Amino acid sequence: MAKQYDVLFRLLLLGDSGVGKTCLLCRFTDNEFHPSHISTIGVDFKMKTLEIDGIKVRIQIWDTAGQERYQTITKQYYRRAQGIFLVYDITSERSFQHIMKWASDVDEYAPDKVQKILVGNKSDEEQKRQVATAQGNKLAKAYGMDFFETSAFTNHNITESFTRLAELVLQANKKDLDVLRVSINDKLNLAALEEEEGVCDSSSDAQKTCWC
Amino acid sequence: REKLGNGTGSPAQPQLRINMPSTAKERVPSVDPYGFERSADFDYNTYEELMSEYLAILTRRSIKWSKMLQGRSRVERNLKVKRYVRKGVPNEHRALIWLAASGSQEQMEKNAGYYQSLLQAQHDPKLVEAIRTDLHRTFPDNVQFQKTANPCLQKTLYNVLVAYGHHNKAVGYCQGMNFIAGYLIIITKDEEKSFWLMEALIGRILPDYYTPAMLGLKTDQEVLGELVKVKVPAVWQAMTQHNVMWTLVVSRWFICLFIDILPVETVLRIWDCLFYEGSKILFRVALTLIHHNQDLILQARNLPDICDRFKQITKGAFVEDCHTFMQKIFKEPGSLSKATITKLREACRAKIMAEES
Repeated sequence: MAKQYDVLFRLLLLGDSGVGKTCLLCRFTDNEFHPSHISTIGVDFKMKTLEIDGIKVRIQIWDTAGQERYQTITKQYYRRAQGIFLVYDITSERSFQHIMKWASDVDEYAPDKVQKILVGNKSDEEQKRQVATAQGNKLAKAYGMDFFETSAFTNHNITESFTRLAELVLQANKKDLDVLRVSINDKLNLAALEEEEGVCDSSSDAQKTCWC
Repeated sequence: REKLGNGTGSPAQPQLRINMPSTAKERVPSVDPYGFERSADFDYNTYEELMSEYLAILTRRSIKWSKMLQGRSRVERNLKVKRYVRKGVPNEHRALIWLAASGSQEQMEKNAGYYQSLLQAQHDPKLVEAIRTDLHRTFPDNVQFQKTANPCLQKTLYNVLVAYGHHNKAVGYCQGMNFIAGYLIIITKDEEKSFWLMEALIGRILPDYYTPAMLGLKTDQEVLGELVKVKVPAVWQAMTQHNVMWTLVVSRWFICLFIDILPVETVLRIWDCLFYEGSKILFRVALTLIHHNQDLILQARNLPDICDRFKQITKGAFVEDCHTFMQKIFKEPGSLSKATITKLREACRAKIMAEES
């Protein structure tokens, strides 16, 4: 089997309930927008491959339930992430205020090296806007993050923001690029890589480990 | 087409026969009896085949239930009723049996006016906002919950959730409860009954799944892991090998009580037992799904693959055929005593609490 990608990253979508995390993800991976979909329960993920500077980057994007209490489950995923989207809704001041809380949780539970970007979603709903673009910019600057206003509905800045975070993750790991597969991928990723490379022939035997 | 459906009994007229639907997709309504729109990939042929058999079962069960109930609104708890419940409660008796079996009927009668008083009291704006965020995200594929429906069940849903959140302040509102309340409303068609059934489920039948710490949920996920370790060890090994946390693949099973995971009819059959027998049934269902599909799960070669397969095993003929599936859940996982569950719950809870402190 031909090798389908060079590196594998895990990105995580965080932000209040209803800011549009799932919609951002569906737009990015499937180019679809569903005005009504069900609330995300627990954690789910989707995958997509991008090409950045000639490197095929496979990204696994984890989507989480936004309600605060679900963090007791979702924070287990923070430490597995290399990049994090902090998402708020430009029509909800409250969701913007909460970004600080999300950011401090990320500091606490995610790896030091984790890359973050700030996303203000629903930019198409200008008439309902409660958070000015300047406010988003200012907060992003304060945290040293890149900032995008997006709309999953109109497909505004979706590819740009996902690609940007993937680039940042790639850059953050650039020094190790030669040994990238080993350094940023734990056994789990390595197993995934080898699987697509056709290293594993049989997995029906559960005793057999994939990477040895 | 719709006129034909009503024309049962009378001999078909020649001009009607010309319009006789020729495919299953034309014969089966595009919205199910509960108001859910069938998805684009719905398998009409398999459904029609299954239903032709299941309708006969339903009719037989319905007659037996009517004979047993003889118009009474009380049911005793005994082996016969338990057997009947496992074989499925006919939809016309479902609300009654759920209310009776769970003790909700009694609670509702003892606390007349309580539900209304909760609605009239002042409401916590934070709770209200959390609930509102999910109203249009609860069953958007159900015609009764769509904004254009009349009456629109979103309002009913709002009332039940707000009332429950103020009744049980330790829980308030947890995402997932919207789906549970939604199902109760669809079945009982009554706000107050839905509220009391909600109280039975969350307050008594289920462990603390929905409290802010979600300790009961985390516990039951681990309990399932322990049961799989014993009953389907190869799958447990695969999960360990690929570093897949149980929460990733089963949290929705527990939180949503299989809503939007398994087919509607199958979920209702599970809930029949849930109200009568308790939360142990959830493990039976989960274990059956895993045990029955272990070969498929074991073919997975990485974490995403495992996740996909755990989604795959909740679809298809095995789970659509709810009557056979319900027979399987009592056989396939083997014995599962209350004592085992209690012991495992205690051990897992202690372990989680130790890890978190």
